[in-house]
Amino acid sequence: MSQVGPQVGIVLVSHSARLAEGAADLAGQVGGGTVRVIPAGGTEDGGLGTSAEKVERALAAAESGAGVLVLPDLGSAVLTVLAMLEGLRGPHVVLADAPFVEGAVAATVTAAAGADLRAVAKAAEEAWHARKL
Amino acid sequence: MPASSESITLEGDLHARPAGALAVAAGRFAATVSVTTGVKTTDAKSVLGVMGLGATSGQQVTVSADGPDAAEAVATLVTILKEATHVGG
Repeated sequence: MSQVGPQVGIVLVSHSARLAEGAADLAGQVGGGTVRVIPAGGTEDGGLGTSAEKVERALAAAESGAGVLVLPDLGSAVLTVLAMLEGLRGPHVVLADAPFVEGAVAATVTAAAGADLRAVAKAAEEAWHARKL
Repeated sequence: MPASSESITLEGDLHARPAGALAVAAGRFAATVSVTTGVKTTDAKSVLGVMGLGATSGQQVTVSADGPDAAEAVATLVTILKEATHVGG
């Protein structure tokens, strides 16, 4: 078995705080609870929307030395993240183009196995092809 | 490269959390690892693939691995499958 060092962190950006929290809870539990899965949902005042400040705090909380994968849910969550990552974007923060729940679960499990950021992003994006039936 | 394989009969359904435990463990091995049930085969390192098997109690599941640590991978995953799907466990 490979050594388990710092794990890739996951940030879930949703319009809804409860959706982000629920997805983070589910992904965290399926992944065995070792990965930092940080929800960043809703606006600062608790409404539906996205907050660059929340995403920024979540990025800091998710980073443990192996980088962070960001998964947005829809439309303006993607735009919010893209805008704020302009300056940050680099080897340590990657934005995934993936289905929200399936991508979060796949990414978290892959991060829990000790994979690097590139492999965690690939796992999230491969979630487009996973059949449920 | 050494290859290894073992089959067990599930004592319970393969739910999301055990599927996660299986995929996390599989991901730590260098070997390629697959899980087969019925006519479906998936990469054991893909949690969505393992969930997509829809493996239920009473079904036979085969874990196969190919690579330097294949035997250890199969032994580890079979143990996880047994423990995670054990009724009341």
